[in-house]
Amino acid sequence: MTTYADAPVTNRNATGRSRGRWFAQVGWRHLVGVLAVAFSLFPILFVISAALNPLGTLSSTELLPTGASFENFTNLFQDTPFAHWFLNSLLLAGVASFASIFLSALAAYAFSRMRFTGRRVGLLALLLIQMFPQFLAIVAIFLIFTTVTDLWPAIGFNTPWGLFLLYMGAALGANTWLMKGFFDTLPKELDESATMDGASHAQVFFRIMLPLVAPILAVTGLLAFIGTINEFIIANVFLTEPNSKTLAVGMFGLVAGERNNNFGMFAAGTLLTAIPTVLVFQLLQRYIVSGLTAGAVKG
Amino acid sequence: MRIRTAGVVAVLGLALAASGCGGSDSDKPAAKESAKAAGGKLVIWADDKRTAALKPFAEEFGKENGVTVEVQAVSKDLQTNFVTASQQGSGPDVVVGAHDWIGNMVQNGAIDPVQLGAEQKSGFNETAIKAVTFNGQLYGVPYATENIALIRNTELAPEAPKTIEDLVAAGKKLKAEKKASEILCLQSGQNGDAYHVYPLYTSGGGYLFGTTANGDYDPKDLGVGKPESIAAFQKIAKLGEKGDGALKRSITGENSIATFTGKKCAFLVSGPWAIADAKKANIKYDISPVPGFAGGKEAQPFVGVQAFYVAAKGKNKALAQEFVTNYVTKPELAVALYKAEPRPPALTAAFDQVKGEDPDLAKFSEAGKNGQVLPAIPAMAAIWDPFGKAEAAIIGGADPAKTITAAGKTIAGQIK
Amino acid sequence: MSTSLSGPGSAEQAPGREPVRRGLPRTSRTARNHAPITATGLVGKVVLLGLVAGIAIWAAFPLVEAEHWIGLGILAATTAGLFYLYLSRRHIPAKYLVPGTLFLIAFQIFPVLYTASTAFTNFGDGHRGSKDDAIVAIQTSSVKQVPGSTEYSLSIATKGDPATGALVFLLSDPKTREVFAGDAGGLRKLDAGQVEASSLTGKITAAEGYTILNIGQASGRSKEITDLVVPTSGGAIRSNGLTRAYEGTAVRAYDAGCDCVKDSETGKTWTADPGVGSFVAADGDRLAQGWKVNVGFENFSRVLTDPNISRPFFGTLLWNFAFAIGSTGLTFLLGMGIALALHSPRMRGTNLYRVLLILPYAMPSFAMLLVWRDMFNTDFGLLNNLFGLDVDWFGGSWSARAAVLLVQLWLGYPYMFLVTTGALQAIPRELTEATSVDGASPWQSFRAVTLPLLLVALSPLLIASFAYNFNNVNAILFTTEGGPFPADNPTNGATDLLITYTYRLAFGAQGAEYGLATTVSIFIFAIVAVVAAISFSRTRKQEEVYS
Repeated sequence: MTTYADAPVTNRNATGRSRGRWFAQVGWRHLVGVLAVAFSLFPILFVISAALNPLGTLSSTELLPTGASFENFTNLFQDTPFAHWFLNSLLLAGVASFASIFLSALAAYAFSRMRFTGRRVGLLALLLIQMFPQFLAIVAIFLIFTTVTDLWPAIGFNTPWGLFLLYMGAALGANTWLMKGFFDTLPKELDESATMDGASHAQVFFRIMLPLVAPILAVTGLLAFIGTINEFIIANVFLTEPNSKTLAVGMFGLVAGERNNNFGMFAAGTLLTAIPTVLVFQLLQRYIVSGLTAGAVKG
Repeated sequence: MRIRTAGVVAVLGLALAASGCGGSDSDKPAAKESAKAAGGKLVIWADDKRTAALKPFAEEFGKENGVTVEVQAVSKDLQTNFVTASQQGSGPDVVVGAHDWIGNMVQNGAIDPVQLGAEQKSGFNETAIKAVTFNGQLYGVPYATENIALIRNTELAPEAPKTIEDLVAAGKKLKAEKKASEILCLQSGQNGDAYHVYPLYTSGGGYLFGTTANGDYDPKDLGVGKPESIAAFQKIAKLGEKGDGALKRSITGENSIATFTGKKCAFLVSGPWAIADAKKANIKYDISPVPGFAGGKEAQPFVGVQAFYVAAKGKNKALAQEFVTNYVTKPELAVALYKAEPRPPALTAAFDQVKGEDPDLAKFSEAGKNGQVLPAIPAMAAIWDPFGKAEAAIIGGADPAKTITAAGKTIAGQIK
Repeated sequence: MSTSLSGPGSAEQAPGREPVRRGLPRTSRTARNHAPITATGLVGKVVLLGLVAGIAIWAAFPLVEAEHWIGLGILAATTAGLFYLYLSRRHIPAKYLVPGTLFLIAFQIFPVLYTASTAFTNFGDGHRGSKDDAIVAIQTSSVKQVPGSTEYSLSIATKGDPATGALVFLLSDPKTREVFAGDAGGLRKLDAGQVEASSLTGKITAAEGYTILNIGQASGRSKEITDLVVPTSGGAIRSNGLTRAYEGTAVRAYDAGCDCVKDSETGKTWTADPGVGSFVAADGDRLAQGWKVNVGFENFSRVLTDPNISRPFFGTLLWNFAFAIGSTGLTFLLGMGIALALHSPRMRGTNLYRVLLILPYAMPSFAMLLVWRDMFNTDFGLLNNLFGLDVDWFGGSWSARAAVLLVQLWLGYPYMFLVTTGALQAIPRELTEATSVDGASPWQSFRAVTLPLLLVALSPLLIASFAYNFNNVNAILFTTEGGPFPADNPTNGATDLLITYTYRLAFGAQGAEYGLATTVSIFIFAIVAVVAAISFSRTRKQEEVYS
């Protein structure tokens, strides 16, 4: 904004009319932006004030902090294995989101570019399978992983790898549709001409399609990252050892039950949890905003 | 180019993931092997708070006896997950939880009875033993009892109210003087809270289950929906939003204690877990029994018991029994658990030991003296939700007779 | 994942194993460009298949050890299948689909099918296991101490090796100081001179000819200790932990002859009823421990005939659709509006706006749902206090619905803002400028050019968002929990989605009822499938535009 400060400055002595024109062209946009930022931030301000308030509670009516102390943050690291949770979540969300977008990109490529029997049925099945409530499947998950834990404890209960495998099960359902839609918007001539030039299907996929869908890979990657960080139902039954928990499970434990003097710590944890997501977003945003529909429009 | 790198990284990531499985494998079973060699492994499941409190003692037990002890926390749906995991054979050896789970855990064959000697048994507070007795068998070893009481801010309300009417009058006066913004902090929320409103319900004459000849609760005699329950809720309705405004749906489990410690209400109905916050906020408080309606019956809070259970399908049952019947029954452990989390110990010896240094404890226990043991029969699970919602609706102004009759019907339909 | 970046050639011949092809003409250009990639592809393929083989071998050992032959067969077949697939040149689509599908089958399709099969059973609390499980549970839970019997101090001992030798209970009566040795053969008295005992508890600490196991050693043989029962005249002596033993007797016993359970104290019998999976007495009394039985279509008919389940079903379905459409549509509208507002070449500071606007999306949603729930509190909530309102947000049906949607809006619009911004960047400015030169108002040019292009680009995102919100349990469970509920029906609230309603059916009644909940899920599934199939047949047209 500072770089554009000259606009209002030059208008300082101008007539109301030109100020009006500035407003009509740019000013209202800032107004919308500021309003939107206010809407975005005020619940977060609330969390910040709870995190800084030593008697932190999520239900006080004060928007601004009544006391400022980092007690809640230090308690979080001293009294709970928060650092473990944080690392577990980062590792799990990082690996799982990467692997899951890769798996679904493969599948989306096949669904978009190839014609085979069972294609449409497969697509429909992918959409429907997500409609089945996960909390009912927990019994079956116990069934599977009891056997897995007995045979291969390294990928059983209380291991990030076991949970990672489980999340991979959901990879196709969650992202394939999204990606297929974007693969569809890429003009077919692109890969056809590459094939003419002698490129194999794998080359088409890795060298032509993937670079073009980079924005959607970034979007789904971000989605998958956030989804994994927030996943609770499965992780809650899967991870019971305090040190193996993820942020969502561990932090829920802080506020579960009747005692609510952990809310300050909970709020502090919430803020810290947002940091990796913001960083991932920063990392990916140039892909996202650099043109989601490059292919579609050019085609 | 960028993407090709990404592809390589992705493949590497997957490879790492896969080799990670292999890599961590080599040390995990080794660790397991060594645990086996040194002795058995005992796995305990508890909720988060108790996990933290238990951990040092469990480790101590492990060290003393050359066994590995793991305390694990299940943050949500501990009971359901325990039953499901047990059924499949991946449950713990010991589980810690409220005594009202017993009925459900027994009907699923998830816990075994524990055998306490007569001498051991006599060391416990009678109510606690009664609570963990189900169908004539002892199913758990209690370690703490808990019940709610009236906590009041003595600066605002020096006198303990004798009746709920006195309380409302005092609260209204404070409100009029702008010293407080609420009459009473009794949590309800939009979906009600059967546990906290129960003293008022009993004072109004209501009951949940009748009792059979041998003193057990009888699921066939459901009190919700009976005329007594309607009468009780008519009295409660008068305290509600359309009446005195002492009971409000806006007071929830999240804000009731905070509102009290924020000096916005002089009276709080809560349990021992609220005391830590009150102390932290430097509130001068006193504890007395929850008062009943003038001319009504006694206000009886629920008495809950926290207990240790031996899982029926645990891998190390003998060790679990050893831990539960011989280690948990020691007063030293009970005192230490109390220090980690101040709830009245169920062992009389431990209770007497800590009573001296903590006057609140005796007051809570006094408030729970006439309390009712929370029913442990499976049918109780059908009560909570409909009863709470009926309470919330009535506090909000719904017709008590119609609402509570419907709740009674729903509950009856869910009891097998 | 094991696709190769193979050498030159037509698509049909593409996935090659050999770096050099025979008899295929190729230009020097392709040779130069593709040769190194072929090597990469080959290496990649070898490494990945090697990894598959490695994992398979790693996984095989425990299976062999556990003599789990079916598992081993599946493992071998899967591995062989993978090798065949990636080494052959055919089945190209399968090469892309199989990696994800393997996981999908193992962790989604199998659980769903397994769960669906419980719709035909009474699976739920009290009926989880087999009949044998129930019998064991009934018998163990009826073990009572023989009145007046001795409580012994116990030491676990063996005559052989502590880890493998046959176990013996060394018992001492703390009162009389008599000592015994007991095993499955019965109880024999020991000579007091043979043993050393603790003077405090009487527990035997050493005995001639026996090795006493310490707790660590004994706990390693827990199962054997629990199973060791020393028969006596009045019942049997069982261990109680590792240091005490008691004489107990199982009051209830199963009799296979009458298929019933008998109580030896009261003489009452409960006969097995295979229809309901319980032992039932003549007077209708039922033992708590039941077992899982097939009930055929009983759950299905219950869903259709029980007015508490069927009556609110369609209302809930309607709201469910409204919620999913509302959540998706509102977030899209707001996100797009803001993106359009910020999308201007003269606009500065858009980066800062973007970072701040995205924050709601970065905060953990379960935490923010709890925060919002408290903000809607009538008396203490920020919303009412800030705006001086007195709205009972979660108390009224419509205000609760509006509140839930507002929360969804807050949580979801940053994402829509982001993707719309991305899509807008890609629309060439010349297109919109051309229309404004033609004299179209900004609104007209938006309607005619921008919006259609945006919709084409974003419709997959919108569909995905709709599908996600249709089953968004957290959005409801962490805020209204389905409420407000009508005073006369606590099972179905105004903001209940089908999934939260199913959740309550499954876990809200007397114990979990998985069978019934699964049945409701199957109904939901069927409805969604029909809707999806219809709309899916329409997308065929859209798809053909691109293909």
